[in-house]
Amino acid sequence: MLTAFVNINSFSQVRVSFDAVSAETGSEEGAPVSAGPNPIAPEIKELAWGAGSFIVFLFFMRLFLVPKVRKGMASRYESIQADHEYASATRDGAKQDVARYESAVAEIRSEASRRLETARQTLDKERQEKVAQVNAQIASRRAAAEAEVAAARAAAQSQIVTAVGAVTTRATQIAVGVSPDAAIVSRSVQQAMEGNRS
Amino acid sequence: MIINSILSFEFPPINELLRWKDVVPGLNKVGLIAVAAALIGTLIFLSAARKDPKVAPKGTRNLAEVSVEFIENNIIMQTMGRDGLGWTPFLLTLFLFVYLCNMPGIIPFIQMPATARMAIPMFLALLVWVIFNVQGIKHQGFFGYFKSVLFPPGVPKALYILVTPIEFISTLIVRPFSLAVRLFANMLAGHLLLVIFALLSEALFQARDKILIPIGVLPFFMLVFLTGFEVLVAFLQAYIFTILAAVYIAGAVHPEH
Repeated sequence: MLTAFVNINSFSQVRVSFDAVSAETGSEEGAPVSAGPNPIAPEIKELAWGAGSFIVFLFFMRLFLVPKVRKGMASRYESIQADHEYASATRDGAKQDVARYESAVAEIRSEASRRLETARQTLDKERQEKVAQVNAQIASRRAAAEAEVAAARAAAQSQIVTAVGAVTTRATQIAVGVSPDAAIVSRSVQQAMEGNRS
Repeated sequence: MIINSILSFEFPPINELLRWKDVVPGLNKVGLIAVAAALIGTLIFLSAARKDPKVAPKGTRNLAEVSVEFIENNIIMQTMGRDGLGWTPFLLTLFLFVYLCNMPGIIPFIQMPATARMAIPMFLALLVWVIFNVQGIKHQGFFGYFKSVLFPPGVPKALYILVTPIEFISTLIVRPFSLAVRLFANMLAGHLLLVIFALLSEALFQARDKILIPIGVLPFFMLVFLTGFEVLVAFLQAYIFTILAAVYIAGAVHPEH
């Protein structure tokens, strides 16, 4: 049979054996011990120490310790609350500053855009004026050139008429032996050239 | 053979497990634990109260504030409402005292919860009983209180023959008894379990028959597991005791709840 000898207060006499021995409990010295306290009935000394300890503990906690800790907690909570409110106010102020800044930026952008538009219109107007001026100069120069061309053509035409008239007069003189009237030849050449041109 | 051997393991009588020599005349280990519990609680709060409350709490200050908030938010506000915040010191003291009396059950070389003896649970339960009855009489008057306890509203009058004796016994007699026994029995049972597995482990590890030594791992594992479990039980029993005290006081002060 497995048997354990146990002395709880010393824990020194625990042993296990298969031997058939009877269990015996004893004090550290091995002397028989009296039965322990009733496991359910309260002992007066335990009651007195327990009650006394609790009442003293409650006295200090009720009158001094908990109120002081609680007061410290309340003051810190109030401080945190005040800091929180201050932070909220600062945040609101910052938000207003940001709104003002954004408003100013929008205004400046609008002004810049307006000025840009004005400058663009001015530039466009000036550009158109310059273009018109240049076009006028071009037209003037073109007219002058055309006049020169017309004068040169007229001069060339006159030379051609004279040359053709001279050739025609000479050819007629060789062919028929009579010189034709120079005015008639000139008029005929003139009419022929004008007829070809039309 | 091994099973037969284990089944014949002889365990000392329970009352031997609870015998503690007096440290000084009239003060045994249980009394010493109660004094230490009160002293530790006082020192924690004394240290907390001396620290600057304006800086972020840490150490004992943090512990004290967490315990105050735990009692207020998880016990008082749940059972008594905002009107019950005046009970914070009492309920906090009750919780801390019970918890600090429970915890030595798993502290090496102490290994005895003071609440595993009947004296402290009985005193605390009687104190709660006196307080909730006094509060009931104070708020409702003597006859008003006993009328609300013994003749609960909404019950058909014919049933009062049954209900009144039941309410009398349950409210005025069983409540303190159940409050004390619940704490005492849970802590004693936990203590006995730890003792059983500790003794069994030691006995098997020191067995003369070598075949029994490896088997000692099993009760040792249970011992470690139950030690961890007792941490939870110590907290839970303190919480249950305190919340029931709050419920009883709230019920006496505001019977309509």
